[in-house]
Amino acid sequence: MINTILRFGLIFILLILLQVLLFDNIQFSGYVNPYVYIMFIILLPVEIPSWLLLLLSFGTGIILDFFSGSPGMHSSATVFAGFVRPYILQIVAPRDGYELRSEPSMMNYGFRWFLTYTLLVVLVHHTALFYLEVFRFADFFRTMLRVLISSLFTIAFIVLIEYYRRGR
Amino acid sequence: MRSLLNFLIRFNNLIIFLILEGITFYLIATGNSYHNTRVVNGIRGITQGIETKINKTRNYLSLREINENLATENITLKTRIEGLRKRDNSLFFSVTDTIFKQQYNHTSAEVIENSVNRQKNFFTINKGSKQGIAPDMAVTSVDGVAGVIVGCSENYSVAMSMLNLDFRLSVRIKSNGYFGSLTWDGRNYRYALLGEIPQHIYINAGDTIETTGYSAIFPEGLVVGTIDDFEKRGGDFYRISVKLSNDFKKLHYVDVIGNLEKAEKSELEKQFK
Repeated sequence: MINTILRFGLIFILLILLQVLLFDNIQFSGYVNPYVYIMFIILLPVEIPSWLLLLLSFGTGIILDFFSGSPGMHSSATVFAGFVRPYILQIVAPRDGYELRSEPSMMNYGFRWFLTYTLLVVLVHHTALFYLEVFRFADFFRTMLRVLISSLFTIAFIVLIEYYRRGR
Repeated sequence: MRSLLNFLIRFNNLIIFLILEGITFYLIATGNSYHNTRVVNGIRGITQGIETKINKTRNYLSLREINENLATENITLKTRIEGLRKRDNSLFFSVTDTIFKQQYNHTSAEVIENSVNRQKNFFTINKGSKQGIAPDMAVTSVDGVAGVIVGCSENYSVAMSMLNLDFRLSVRIKSNGYFGSLTWDGRNYRYALLGEIPQHIYINAGDTIETTGYSAIFPEGLVVGTIDDFEKRGGDFYRISVKLSNDFKKLHYVDVIGNLEKAEKSELEKQFK
């Protein structure tokens, strides 16, 4: 238990640092803004109680908001992703269910499963985040394009990190 | 209570979610100036839309009153045109004169001070000698006779209201043409007294009272009120109570009428008195 908490604390800090120091500095045509920190929400154990998941999402988002100077936006999107995550897990559940006390990682359930799961969570998060950022429905499709391209990059980075984790 | 607790337990995730999202939306709306403006403008847009709707409805509901006022005004104007046409038909003018046909001159004004509860009431209007108002001009509103100008400054005039013990008006009963004089007894601001109508003629409650035009102040045929009640009380004359058509408590826009031929008329009459 303590072990798990320590491990996730480490993952949390590493992801935040990665996001703030590296990914927030990608200035590539305004369409590519990968938000890799959402991987923390993705990696949390399957059986985590919903209220804890929501609170952790909120905390993650708030810290990101502090760094990016945009109060509320990241936390709103992350809380939404945290709220939706259990339903996504239900949708993509393997045929024989989840193993007891397992983490939704590529190691446990394979590449295809992990990609689908990540895709859904990232899409939900990015959609909420980008539409909150523009806060209007004018330029609807331009925003959607930004969501799709950024999601693509985020998913690519998450899968890369996950490969690295597995290889280690 | 129990079912409420059950409800809370069942939907605790949704409730936590909604609370957290509420906090974040609050942060978004207050912390970012762009989102703040959008939210404030959005709310303002909604409230303004509602206000415009309410305003429109209100206007629509008062259309009836506006319509009635316009209709009455129309009627008055029509009668005036008739009067002018009649004068046009008189036989004895051969000289071309562009102004002779017009006997009365109208000026509109607004009542800015008014009272109904004294024994000698006056009201003030916002036009004066600069706008061509002079003492002894008649003041009327859409509803009927209102008073007579008694004094003017450059931009304001004071008029003696009908509700004044000193006010006398030459009027007649429209149905039979008998004339008398109208006074106010100082009691009720909606009623005046009509005297000098002999008891041998027949009158009815509801008969219209109008001006005679004998005084050279008021044009002929302006509505004053209707007979409300009458009684035979000794002597030769009725004691008639007239309900005034003008409600002096809501007197607002008035029409000041000047008689262009008044000097000529009084000059002529002076020779025989």
